[in-house]
Amino acid sequence: MVNDDLVLKTVNLKKSFTTKKKIVEAVRGVDIVVKKGQIYGFLGPNGAGKTTTLRMLTTLLPIDEGEAMVAGYDVKRQPGEVRKHIGYVSQLGGADDQATGRDDLILQAQLYGVSLSASKKRAKELIDALQLSEYADRKVTTYSGGQRRRLDIAIGIMHRPDILFLDEPTTGLDPQNRANMWQQIRMLRDNGTTIFLTTHYLEEADILSDYLTIMDHGKIVAEGTPRELKRQISGDAVIIKPKQEGKTIEKIQKYVSNLSFVKDTRVEGESIHLYVEDGTQALPQIFSLLESKKIGLDTVSLAEPSLDDVFLKQTGRSLRDGEKKTEGGARG
Amino acid sequence: MKLFKDIELLIKRPFLQEFHNPTWLFVSGSTPLMYLVLFMPLLKRLASGPGFSSGNVIQLFLPGIIALLAFGTGNFAGFSTIFELRNGFIERLRVTPASRFALLMGPIVSSMVWSLIFATVIIGLSVPFGFHIHLLGLLVYAILLILMIILFSSISTSLAILTREISTFAAIVNGVNLPLILLAGVMLPLSLAPHWMRLVAHINPLYYVVEAGRALANGQIGVSVVTEAFAIMVPLTIVILWWSMRIYRRAVS
Repeated sequence: MVNDDLVLKTVNLKKSFTTKKKIVEAVRGVDIVVKKGQIYGFLGPNGAGKTTTLRMLTTLLPIDEGEAMVAGYDVKRQPGEVRKHIGYVSQLGGADDQATGRDDLILQAQLYGVSLSASKKRAKELIDALQLSEYADRKVTTYSGGQRRRLDIAIGIMHRPDILFLDEPTTGLDPQNRANMWQQIRMLRDNGTTIFLTTHYLEEADILSDYLTIMDHGKIVAEGTPRELKRQISGDAVIIKPKQEGKTIEKIQKYVSNLSFVKDTRVEGESIHLYVEDGTQALPQIFSLLESKKIGLDTVSLAEPSLDDVFLKQTGRSLRDGEKKTEGGARG
Repeated sequence: MKLFKDIELLIKRPFLQEFHNPTWLFVSGSTPLMYLVLFMPLLKRLASGPGFSSGNVIQLFLPGIIALLAFGTGNFAGFSTIFELRNGFIERLRVTPASRFALLMGPIVSSMVWSLIFATVIIGLSVPFGFHIHLLGLLVYAILLILMIILFSSISTSLAILTREISTFAAIVNGVNLPLILLAGVMLPLSLAPHWMRLVAHINPLYYVVEAGRALANGQIGVSVVTEAFAIMVPLTIVILWWSMRIYRRAVS
């Protein structure tokens, strides 16, 4: 690899599937660059093509078109070398239910050709680091969701991979376990592991990512650091939900668009988002305008722009809506 | 070598797990015993009738039971495959540098070893009841059984990967099981069967194994049924194993 700092690079990566009658283009030309030591976030709704991209990069799925270099090796031509240098934790996990956590970790290291004694030592190290010592010698079937996730991650990093792929690592976890997992992922990064993380949770992508790519319908629609992305939507977001439905929203949009301080508007379901320089100054003027037009309001809220606003700007849809509908973790 | 190490690791895992599962051990060990205890006595009266030329019921019956055991081991291999596909275990292994051949063969060899252990135990238990051991014949029979377990495990694993669903997979396995067993003369020799049944039996690999097993248990190694069984089982197993490897390599979702 030309640049020592790069762990992963793809050029125009493509994949399509043939279902019964039609061809589904799951990934439609994706360019990714992951630098060493980064948490690279890959955000998008379920079905955006995140998992398909990940599966190509981890040698599980043949690449249709384009190039991919991972850990210094060509995924298409040297899949064996790639496998030696990557770790992968799928949405399903992959821990062996019938084994104890410790035995499972040891098996994993041995499959990478590590000796039994070194495997045992490494297993102990990770059991301590990921706070698994209490359960390490119990069968995996007895683990809670959070414990299991930590074991999955430990399995993924047993052989000290150059890059760790995490596919939706917190799906199905309760808030406390999710926060705990975030901490663990940051700790891994701080210890030098490069992490490629897919998620459909906005907060997760925002909090964890050093660099973030937003994907939709098989294409990258935005990328940058979370701060850069949010800065595109400068100022604040005012979210207004009128009492009456139907045409009212369009009316509001027409009226407020004429206000000089409103930079952008976007309709999302039954509410409208206005992007303004300064929310607190804008609010009174918006209120008086709508009052003069006899438009009753149900709720009004003021927020700093979130990644959802970025997604909304790029795709015209809200990621949060999709999140609610598909909660429970279908594959993305 | 890495390949052998991988195979060893992947055999050990399921083997030890089954070893530590008392329910599994008890049921797997007692099934063939039940045939011996609850079915064989029914045959005593028939012993002088047609199809029982040797007059020694257990000598005739035991090779069939052992074949049935090996057949079942192979057939059910797919159940754990489906389970391991669903909990992500197989995918996890596929991302490691472990040999793909080892990934497929590990569980197959593990169940094969178990099958041979149970077969040895049952043979040992049958000796006091009049089973006469022809060691060389039994060793040759063991090779045939190994081929058969690889054959049916490969088919079963491939079916599991193709269906990915317990209910569909179970329906197919059960549906195929019964005719294959009945058309192999496992319970009663097919020499009792009408001509058409004996004809149909010739497309059943299990039939050849059982026929050869009976000859081998009597120490008849160079006879035509044995040659026939090997002539069919060796190429068939190789072809099916190759096909299975292809399916396993492509097993993506």
